[in-house]
Amino acid sequence: MIKALAEGLSVTLKHMFKKRNTVQYPEQRREYSPRFRGRHKLNRHEDGSEKCVGCYLCAVVCPSKCIELQAAENENGKRYAEWYEIQMGRCIFCGFCVEACPVEALDMTPFYEMSCYSREGLIYEKKDLLVPMPEKKEVGSK
Amino acid sequence: MTEFIIIMLVKMIVIFGAVMGTMTYITLAERKILGYMQIRPGPNRVGPWGLLQPIADGIKLFLKEDIIPDHASKAVFVIAPAMALIPAVMTIAVVPFGPEMTVFGRKVTAYMADVNIGLLYIFSVSSMGVYGIVLAGWASESKYSLLGGLRSSAQMISYELSMGFAVVGVLMMSQSLSMVKIIEAQKGVWFIIPQFFGFVIYIIAAIAELNRTPFDLPEGESELVSGYFTEYSSMKYAMFMLAEYINIITVSGIVTTLYLGGWHSFFIPLPPLVWFMIKLLAVVFFMIWVRATYPRFRYDQLMTFGWKVLLPASILNILFTPLFMKIFGYL
Amino acid sequence: MAETKNMILNMGPQHPSTHGVLRLILELDGETVVKLTPDIGYLHRGVEKLGENLTYHQFIPLTDREDYLASLSNNLAYCMTVEKLLDIEVPPRAMVARVLLTELQRIASHLIWLGTFGLDIGAMSLFFYCMRERELLLDIFEACAGSRLTINYFRIGGIAKDLPEGFEKQVRDFIAVFPERMKNDYERIFQDNKIVRIRTEGVGIISKKDAVDLGLSGPLLRACGVPWDIRKSNPYCGYETYDFDIATGKVGDVFDRYMVRMEEMRQSLKIVRQALDRLPGGAFLADDPKVCLPAKQKVMTEMEALIHHFKIVSEGFEPPAGEVYHSIETPRGELGFYIVSDGSNKPYRLRFRPPSFVNLESLAKMAEGKLIGDLIAIIGALDPVMGEVDR
Repeated sequence: MIKALAEGLSVTLKHMFKKRNTVQYPEQRREYSPRFRGRHKLNRHEDGSEKCVGCYLCAVVCPSKCIELQAAENENGKRYAEWYEIQMGRCIFCGFCVEACPVEALDMTPFYEMSCYSREGLIYEKKDLLVPMPEKKEVGSK
Repeated sequence: MTEFIIIMLVKMIVIFGAVMGTMTYITLAERKILGYMQIRPGPNRVGPWGLLQPIADGIKLFLKEDIIPDHASKAVFVIAPAMALIPAVMTIAVVPFGPEMTVFGRKVTAYMADVNIGLLYIFSVSSMGVYGIVLAGWASESKYSLLGGLRSSAQMISYELSMGFAVVGVLMMSQSLSMVKIIEAQKGVWFIIPQFFGFVIYIIAAIAELNRTPFDLPEGESELVSGYFTEYSSMKYAMFMLAEYINIITVSGIVTTLYLGGWHSFFIPLPPLVWFMIKLLAVVFFMIWVRATYPRFRYDQLMTFGWKVLLPASILNILFTPLFMKIFGYL
Repeated sequence: MAETKNMILNMGPQHPSTHGVLRLILELDGETVVKLTPDIGYLHRGVEKLGENLTYHQFIPLTDREDYLASLSNNLAYCMTVEKLLDIEVPPRAMVARVLLTELQRIASHLIWLGTFGLDIGAMSLFFYCMRERELLLDIFEACAGSRLTINYFRIGGIAKDLPEGFEKQVRDFIAVFPERMKNDYERIFQDNKIVRIRTEGVGIISKKDAVDLGLSGPLLRACGVPWDIRKSNPYCGYETYDFDIATGKVGDVFDRYMVRMEEMRQSLKIVRQALDRLPGGAFLADDPKVCLPAKQKVMTEMEALIHHFKIVSEGFEPPAGEVYHSIETPRGELGFYIVSDGSNKPYRLRFRPPSFVNLESLAKMAEGKLIGDLIAIIGALDPVMGEVDR
């Protein structure tokens, strides 16, 4: 019995000298895998035109009905999304919209720091979601 | 005469200030050590290594809103923290931090007073600390506090007996109740060696008196939210915390005095005051270490342990002490 | 003559040790619990009703959030029930991957249980050691599916995406580290400790007959000595081909439940090793064009695949009318799904049989007549997750 008590003490003492695996946020950040389901982004083709064709599949498959969009035809007769809106406050980050998109226009990034001071700020529109034009090399951020 | 008063006043301020300062940093040390044992860093945001954390805690507690529940008995509710704090601070007066030293050309003793019934004084004063807890639990008019207060008072009274009996062995060996004389009697051999069982019993009973894990049922966080001080906020809560941590220092000081040889050095020659502090902090570290490791007793097991195991053991210790005294050459 | 009344204490919805929002109304006589009434419903979100308005495919993320500590098990139960309704064959690679990930999920769930159980009893440090191991598992889940807690990786017909690169190495690293951590860290600090023993032995005993009468399942039933494990009695997903033992206890007290769960973790590790060794190549999703989404490459190039994709995503599939029940063994017990289909693309009735709900009914029997300290240990060993009790 004494041995068991002393063993318990030795385990805690041993851990005192081990490396601590605390991540000192916000100075250090964790590395996330490429499949991490974070903030959405809308992709572009190489020539800069948007990939989204306004097929409504992402809006239909969303379990919490947080995607809304309106399709229209541009001057060349090609379909595109006139406006596109995701309500991040309702989104459950399940990734179904990404799976549903037939042209790989919608993607999820490893970015997750999306807190905001108002509910309206959580409604992301096309200008917040679109990846910048291909000259710049950074992922779209708010 | 005036010189005497001035020296006493200065000693009072220095000792009280030092104990308060140590106590606040022991709160930080507890959190850091617990953190390191749990593979996390503990507080490290407020100041480097969290050194300003106790100050931040103090300011926070000071500025909080003072809430008194509607149904509480106001007078008792307000007095209870004071009744817990005052005995804790009174016992600092007889803890012998060091021998007679020469400071600025004067001979001063590093303790407030050498009462020749020092040990008896400590026990009687610290028993009054139970009142604070009982009154706090009762006056809060909350069922959780009531349960916590009842449990705690029963626990403290039970373990005081074993503490008292364990110390009788030391008394027999040192032939005096005065704290300073007990230290002087340990010049050759520290009392931990002939009185090892007394030491173990005393440490266990002391941890129970302090309401720390594994005997922290009265403030068992997972059972009774916060026990007897659930309803307290701001300075009253701070006073309970102060009382608890000052008690920790005092009890460690007593353990050092009675069993670990007080200010006598151990191979390495350092000033006696420094040795006392090192031993005191070692006992405090041991208590924090035990808190990180062991789960807590259930209430009836705690009472069974106190009455059926610890009390007979301490009485047996008294019976066997003359044998140890003969072996170690005291008789 | 003053009369004494028993004290009524409310261990409210917010309490440091009722796991989640469980309210217990206790009638106390001193320290003894005379009567115990659980009050649930604080986490009710109407999941079963929501299921009636979503297609079968859309319901999968909602199953994640019911037993949120073992979400892959919920996914598995639901997908297998719908596959039973549709009579679909899952390809072998998906079956082995499902078993592997579900067993890893079982270890992760038991690690949380162990940490919080230690925390309830007072051993604070155990929690942090368990979390350190759980982080390794959550990293594996995140590499596969993209999420750590609500994983949403299984689909009707297989798994969502193929296992990622480096998956095998991650799992092998975990298998190498875990047994030694179990022995050195958890057992030495917890199992042999005298205080833990007197806190848990002889506490919360429930007899074999009572356990079977109350409908308990999972580690609670096995701790009483009844060797009932759905993975052995009604095997699914190829469990009959794996070599593992059922952990049983003898007495049915809290300590036996602890030992059963520790042994389950070891057996799960054994299954993971076997699954990893025999992971075959091939397809990860069944080939049924009406039910399973075709591969993205095909959707972007072939017309037929595009049409199937559109149909499945927008309308879903229509299973034949009928009803089906299927259950699996989750870390908490028997989780069952009962689906009534009327031939349309949304279920007519979707019922989720949560193990914790049925297990919670035995709390009154186990705790009445005992002390409050025992009650805490009993709730800890019961391991309820309010997400699935309240749905």
